[in-house]
Amino acid sequence: MSLSREIYNELAAIVGSAHISDKPHILAGNRAKTPDYPMEYKSAEAIVRPGSVEELQAIVKLCNKYGIIFAPMVSGVMPTAFASRPNTIIIQLSRMNRIVEINEEDRYVVIEPGVRHVQLYPELRKRGFSYTAASVGPGGSVLANFTSTSGDHHTQHGNSRANRYLLGVEMILPDGEIIRTGSLQTGSGWFCPDGPGPGLRGIVKGYNGNHAQFGIITRIAIAIDPCKGPAEPEMSGISPHHTVRMNTPCSKVIIYKFKDIDHLRDAMIKTGEAEIGSTVIKYFYLPATLMMTDSANDFWKMWTDEHKAELTMPLIVHLATRSEEEMKYEETILHDIAAELGGVRIKREYEEWWENHMDFFMIVSRLQSVLRLGGGWAPIKLASDSVAHICEVGKNINNFIHDFTDTGKIFDAPEDYQIIPMEYGHFAHIELLIMWDRTDPNVMKGVGEFRAASRQTDIDNHFHAEMPVFLSPGSMQIGPLYSNFHIWLKQLKEAFDPNNVANPMM
Amino acid sequence: MADLKKFEYTMDSCNHCGQCKWILSPKMHGWDFSQICPIHVHFGFDAYSGQGLINIAKEVMNGTLQYGDGLEEMLYTCTACGACDVNCKNVRDMELLDTILELRAHCTEHGALPEAHRKTAENIETSHNIYGLSHENRFSWLPDSYKDDEDADTALFVGCSVYKHPEPALAAIKILRAGGVKFKLLHEDEWCCGSTLWRTGQNEMAAALVSRNREIFKKNCIKTVITACAECFGSFRAGYTRFGENEFEVLHITQVAADLLKTGRLTVTKSRESMRVTYHDPCMLARLSEPYIPWEGVIHPYGLHEPEKQWRRGEHGEYHAPREILNALPGIELAEMPRNREDAFCCGANAAGIDPEFSKQTAAERRREAASTGADAIVSCCPFCRDSLENGSEYPMRYLDLTELLAEML
Repeated sequence: MSLSREIYNELAAIVGSAHISDKPHILAGNRAKTPDYPMEYKSAEAIVRPGSVEELQAIVKLCNKYGIIFAPMVSGVMPTAFASRPNTIIIQLSRMNRIVEINEEDRYVVIEPGVRHVQLYPELRKRGFSYTAASVGPGGSVLANFTSTSGDHHTQHGNSRANRYLLGVEMILPDGEIIRTGSLQTGSGWFCPDGPGPGLRGIVKGYNGNHAQFGIITRIAIAIDPCKGPAEPEMSGISPHHTVRMNTPCSKVIIYKFKDIDHLRDAMIKTGEAEIGSTVIKYFYLPATLMMTDSANDFWKMWTDEHKAELTMPLIVHLATRSEEEMKYEETILHDIAAELGGVRIKREYEEWWENHMDFFMIVSRLQSVLRLGGGWAPIKLASDSVAHICEVGKNINNFIHDFTDTGKIFDAPEDYQIIPMEYGHFAHIELLIMWDRTDPNVMKGVGEFRAASRQTDIDNHFHAEMPVFLSPGSMQIGPLYSNFHIWLKQLKEAFDPNNVANPMM
Repeated sequence: MADLKKFEYTMDSCNHCGQCKWILSPKMHGWDFSQICPIHVHFGFDAYSGQGLINIAKEVMNGTLQYGDGLEEMLYTCTACGACDVNCKNVRDMELLDTILELRAHCTEHGALPEAHRKTAENIETSHNIYGLSHENRFSWLPDSYKDDEDADTALFVGCSVYKHPEPALAAIKILRAGGVKFKLLHEDEWCCGSTLWRTGQNEMAAALVSRNREIFKKNCIKTVITACAECFGSFRAGYTRFGENEFEVLHITQVAADLLKTGRLTVTKSRESMRVTYHDPCMLARLSEPYIPWEGVIHPYGLHEPEKQWRRGEHGEYHAPREILNALPGIELAEMPRNREDAFCCGANAAGIDPEFSKQTAAERRREAASTGADAIVSCCPFCRDSLENGSEYPMRYLDLTELLAEML
């Protein structure tokens, strides 16, 4: 089905003819299959680019009037931002890209959907602030970071997950009504996530984000933190061999390796108890290697048993302090913890790599190099719980992953999971990153089997380990582990979106 | 024959990460000037980007998308500046720009080449320059006093732009003379370098011209070609090597001058009023000038290239020499634009024949960026960037050619 000329013209009248297209080659730019997603996307009927909340609201109302499905998109990193069924238009939000307000006094910033990490982060850093950037790379939408992910991120040890930084929200509901949440609702400004009456953040945000199932979020406020370290890190070199350094004695990266997950867990808990470290991660050894190399061939040269042993159970700690004395203190404590738990410092050259790429700790830069092996990849698990629980989940991976790594169904990297504590060990997040040979036409069958095995393990062990995603069959299977969220979600969807036009996805 | 299949690995590898559109994080500086793809900035749709163009290439290859309805105009509105390619290759093993160039070759072979480029090719064929002007007048600007060093094995290649802008060529002559470099001009033997041809996918004609020019260099015993034009430099270094190995060395006048200054063979004797300038990296001197390295082989699972591929990631383009010269000029203060070196924003010149409004707006965007540095002038060393940057009513800014600037101060 294609849009009638009448509807197309009505949309064009809203946004202007330069900001809508249904030409086949324009649509082709938003329907290509990606190597990380098993399904073919549908072609949108048109792509519309509103420039304001008013235009967006008019589009949503029009969609309801004619029963047209809409899928909002900013960067297109997530598979949820594409047309999943016929009769869909893509609403490309990149023109709505203003930083509406930076309030240094009350420490928040108000943004529109099209603002990217690579834009907001330096603006805040110049003013002595930072925020919690998730792992989508420089071009990812900051708003989506806070509203359409679980909110976990790499530097949350010293702060918290992104969704706890979400303050006032403005959104257009599936039927076109505009609502505002938090203090914004009462006209008190953006500063507070909750206003009088029932909180709406749960609906707006859910566990794993909104993904426009309940409408389109048009502006959000996020809390910002004072940042430690220089306002302008030293950046030099030419890509891909550039460096970003914090040339200050108040910033250091120290990496210890531990003999097993139990010892690493204890080190993680103790660093939290001591309240040291800005970032603490048990990082994936596969992406770490990819980030350190220039090409897939380089990767294969580096991916030796010796190298893997060095990075299999690493605790990467970024110490960022406000004084040299504080640094000395944190360093001493860290070394003591490591000594007590048998931690061994890894090769200095590895630590130096991290110190030369501090942009990783700002906006998780270079992360896209995990795609260098062809782009077939998926994050599995992605949930959060106590550090001890999450480490049990990590330990358990070895009980089922070898059936898949040993048979080549997924890349042979059984220890490729990361654990990131947050709020000094209050919680922790796990992510198992798998890759597959996307050139193998049958590979997705094995990947599907792996996902099922992982999920079954969680169910069998009562693990809070897999992130429930929307109303997918898999998520519904683990719904009972998450307070039957899927039943709520389904009812909410039906109530808020009677015409089922707001990105129904699955 | 164009073979899009060669780039299927690239087409199938894209995860929409966005690095082809956004500045590299080590260069991030704020909200403004953070995009690197001119067509994406101007048109906004994802199709207008490296990601979009390889998606389109895949559909053209599969036969699910046909030329017409604006596709070819869009394909050639892309300036092929290579910013997407360099940014993508920072993190991926993909060949965005080569895929776009192959799609252009495919487009040409299918008779869909836009008229503007067809006309340029016709000009080159009949008049040996891109403008269709008389070949006899190619060196009409040369002073009567000029004499070649007859026994020199170095040629100064002035390029077609000399018809419009003879000053950089005259400045180059002055610099070479002052530095004691023996050289000669090719006079009536000098034809267009062919940049427009291979960059628009007219590869058959390009191959013939490359072959002809190589023969001319051989006939004139040329071992080193110094270009006064960034476009010619990039063409000889990165374009000709697509049609076999060069048997001559290629240098840009700024590289020669920087070396002469460094080794004391060239001395700046004059000063001028203090001036803050910013430098615009021409694509063909900078990120696009790395010699092409052919690769044929097998891509095994998980991206293992056999035999190992030598990647061109833009790292070894010429970024230093122009800056060394500027830093050596008394009274000149260099202020970098936010998007510089491998992340420099294209001036839009290459699309002038296809979409003049886009080209103008892109140049205006670059001037706006230049103005943001507080510079009094924008300095560069490409005649096409000059055409684009110095003639605009939006954010007008004085343009200075680096070669001329140096020559004036000798």
